[in-house]
Amino acid sequence: MGKPNDLVQGTLDLLILKTISLEPKHGWAIAKRIQQVSGEVLQVQQGSLYPALHRLEQKAWIRAKWAESDTGRKAKYYSLTAAGRAQLEKEAANWSRLSAAINLVVETT
Amino acid sequence: MLCAQRLWVRLQTLFRRERAAQLLDDELQFHLDEQIAENVAAGMSPQEARYAARRVFGNLSLLKEEARESWGWIWLEQIGQDLRYGLRMLRKSPGFTIVAVLTLALGIGANTAIFSLVDAALLRLLPVEKPEQLFRLTSINREGRTNDWFSYPTFKSLLEDNQTLSGLIAFHSLGNLDFVAGGKGELARGQAVSSRYFTTLGVRAILGRTITDADENASATPVAVISYGYWTSRFNRSASAVGAAVVLNGAPFTVIGVMPPEFFGLEPGQLVDVSIPLTSVALVQPQFAAAASPYDILTAPFRNWLHIMARLKEGQTESQAKANLAPIYEQAIREAAAGMHGLAFDSPGARRAFAEFRIELEPGSRGLTALRQQFSKPLTFLLAMASVLLLIACTNVANLLLTNGSSRQKELALRLALGAGRARVIRQLLTESVLLAAGGGAIGVVLAFAGSRSLVRLMSHSTSRIRLDVHPDARILAFTVLVSLIAVVVFGLFPACRDSRLDLSQAVKEAGQGRAAVPGRFRMTEGLVIAQIALSLVLTVGAGLLVRTLQNLKNFYPGFHEQNVLLFSIQRGMVGYTNSQVAELYEQIKAQIENTPGVSAVSFSTFSPLAGWSGFTDAAVEGYTPKPGDNPAISVNFVGPSYFRTLGTAVLTGRDIKEDDRTDSPKIAVINEAMAQHFFGARNPIGRRFSIPGWVGDPSQIEIVGVVENARFISIRGEVPPAAYIPFFQSPDSFLATTFEVRSTINPTSLAGSVGQLTQQTDNRLPLFDVRTLSDRIDESLVQERTVAFLSSLFGAVALFLTCVGLYGVMAGSVAQRTHEIGIRMALGAERLGVLKLVLGRGMVMALVGVFTGILASITVGQFMTALLFAVKPADGPTIVAASFLLIVVATVACCIPARRAMRVDPMVALKYE
Repeated sequence: MGKPNDLVQGTLDLLILKTISLEPKHGWAIAKRIQQVSGEVLQVQQGSLYPALHRLEQKAWIRAKWAESDTGRKAKYYSLTAAGRAQLEKEAANWSRLSAAINLVVETT
Repeated sequence: MLCAQRLWVRLQTLFRRERAAQLLDDELQFHLDEQIAENVAAGMSPQEARYAARRVFGNLSLLKEEARESWGWIWLEQIGQDLRYGLRMLRKSPGFTIVAVLTLALGIGANTAIFSLVDAALLRLLPVEKPEQLFRLTSINREGRTNDWFSYPTFKSLLEDNQTLSGLIAFHSLGNLDFVAGGKGELARGQAVSSRYFTTLGVRAILGRTITDADENASATPVAVISYGYWTSRFNRSASAVGAAVVLNGAPFTVIGVMPPEFFGLEPGQLVDVSIPLTSVALVQPQFAAAASPYDILTAPFRNWLHIMARLKEGQTESQAKANLAPIYEQAIREAAAGMHGLAFDSPGARRAFAEFRIELEPGSRGLTALRQQFSKPLTFLLAMASVLLLIACTNVANLLLTNGSSRQKELALRLALGAGRARVIRQLLTESVLLAAGGGAIGVVLAFAGSRSLVRLMSHSTSRIRLDVHPDARILAFTVLVSLIAVVVFGLFPACRDSRLDLSQAVKEAGQGRAAVPGRFRMTEGLVIAQIALSLVLTVGAGLLVRTLQNLKNFYPGFHEQNVLLFSIQRGMVGYTNSQVAELYEQIKAQIENTPGVSAVSFSTFSPLAGWSGFTDAAVEGYTPKPGDNPAISVNFVGPSYFRTLGTAVLTGRDIKEDDRTDSPKIAVINEAMAQHFFGARNPIGRRFSIPGWVGDPSQIEIVGVVENARFISIRGEVPPAAYIPFFQSPDSFLATTFEVRSTINPTSLAGSVGQLTQQTDNRLPLFDVRTLSDRIDESLVQERTVAFLSSLFGAVALFLTCVGLYGVMAGSVAQRTHEIGIRMALGAERLGVLKLVLGRGMVMALVGVFTGILASITVGQFMTALLFAVKPADGPTIVAASFLLIVVATVACCIPARRAMRVDPMVALKYE
């Protein structure tokens, strides 16, 4: 029983950081946003999302704040810290390099 | 900044766990509700929507667990679980817990107690500024003989002429002083110190001031610095102590300051109560100081009485300092050797030997080494014994754990079956061991501090009290923790690994029936018991050897009969007697004491028996040509008439020293067998002559008039050196005290009072000191041997007791386990006696294997004890036989109760039980 859309752990961190880089979001919204933007290709499992969020929080890359959501309920909003923003830039750059390299290999035959 | 943020987040999840968990629940619930809302919007029924959402979510507890794990405190949580669980398990079997904790407490306590002594005597750094800069001056000659004593003029030259030292201090132990403050007298241990002693060490007075240059002057007001302890006990920590008038040995002093509580002087074991300037020694020990005589300690360059310590200048090395000091020292001792000429104990050989010494520096950060030299061997030995004891205690606890483990197999099997990892189970079991060791360690520390205090008391005797500063400190507690942890590894790891290796199906099936599912469990406990018996035998043999050593020393005939002899000393010079007046005084005292009822003989001498020291000088024997490398030094004692009769030393040929051997009569001497043997071999020495070159006004030859048996006047151990006894009144002038020996027909202690009165009647200014019996003095000289023998016997006894308990436990366990088998045997007609043999035989086999191993081990280990023994070999047959017998008796006792239980097995009950 494999998990079809399991993401490589480092990649999930990058997606989370990128997703909340514009505005603070709660867990549900982060999952939805990734799903939407990727054109439903990337499905983030809750089982990976929340441990990842807590891990990033422990690393102080993101910080959490409880605030009222659109529906009027209290929800936990995550936002980037300065260190998180730096980390995002680093990981994004890494990702570009890596994907470009993979592309090169895959498309050259 | 980032670190601080991370720490903050982590601390929140640590200290607000409940709240963090609640928030996690809320967060996940919110996600779930959003999902449900979306599902409903997509047209599902609320019921369906909820199920679908939960399905997407998967295992909620696992998710929570994973999120919590990311907080990073999971290990702490698990330790908490282990501890809670361990405590619960230990509470469930209180008998096991109490026995295990007490056993460990004995082992850990013994180690901590001995270690605290080792630490105080051998390891601890001095509580002074930068102790690593301190070096102790010593000198060494070509033969490797060392001399740690220096004269005051030498000290002054070294102090003034060096370029490499930031400080040089000298000090002299005054022994016990009569200390009177506020009209109340008490003994205090005193030292005389050079003026910058305290400032060089960096020890500041906590009240008042310390000794300065101005105080080191014979005409200055005599001052004293007192210890914190004395300040507390005699002055109630009152500020008015400074300026208080006190009396030391009859001389008035003014208290100028108080030492800090952690400083006791530079000799561990010799705690100092009061310090005075070097120039004040003449006030408290006038005889020793010999002021204004050729022997004046402040001017005589050959009177070596000071220990010296140097503090190097910043950046200077030991070798630079040595190179700097060496020529200064050589110049000083050349002057000293020249200054000796014509005085007592002088001879060309002595002068040459004196001048041969070269200066050396020794690290002084731990203080002087006298105590270290004296105690390092016995203390190391005791520490080794204590660790063997701990090993035995650990074996016992390991066996208890193994036995306890059998009854827990079902529980462990269940845990393993439910998916607990083996490592996790081992950790759980080790946590229980750590709890046991922590309990044992805590009780052990309490035992140790009670014990080490009594030990210090045991080692000290009335005159030269060894006072070590033993108090609980971080080092000792760290040692205890370390020992406890080692104990955990020794006793806990093995059973834990064993217990966690279970055949699960077998265990779950059989555990209910009280059978062991771990293969070879009993073989292992038996192995441990055998090891225990062997170790106990080693300890018992060691203790036996030391007890025999003590007995041998006590029973050893030292060359005199120590029963019924009272000793006391007087210092005639204290009240200004000259040598010529002394004869009359002593004869008067001697005659008066001889007339006392119960007294059979009285004599006197310069060196008293077993005083621990003696005077040596070179002898030139007529008609004897020294062989190359021959040591011409002989020990010389100056003794009164009938000295040998009084002490009971046999005169082998010739005569005793008589009343008419006086200053003006022919010079004679009585020599001992060793001297006769060394210089004359088989020839008769009577009538032969020898001389002691260099004695004042004594060009004449000394005629040998008698030979006595060898008597041990320095210490009971060691060789007896060649010795000559010279009539007291034919001795050169001397600054030494005189000891009177009184032989009685009644208990000598009862004479002490009347002897004191008689002496006071003769001259009421003459103070008596060191009044005690010769047997007491022998006992005092054996204090170290007695302490070591006592302690090792104690350790041996505890080891035997633990082994007995261990063997009993294993035998009882094995009988309980074989009840069924024994029942069948009996049902099939086995005799009760046969059953008894079966059980006892098993125990005896273990005991014999253990004893045999132990004998081999103790013969090997015994080699390291040689230095501690006297007149007994390390592989001493009788001791080994006695110890083995003792162990077999103990083993039999331990087996008897289980064997009786086995004999009483009712076959019907045993079979029904199944």
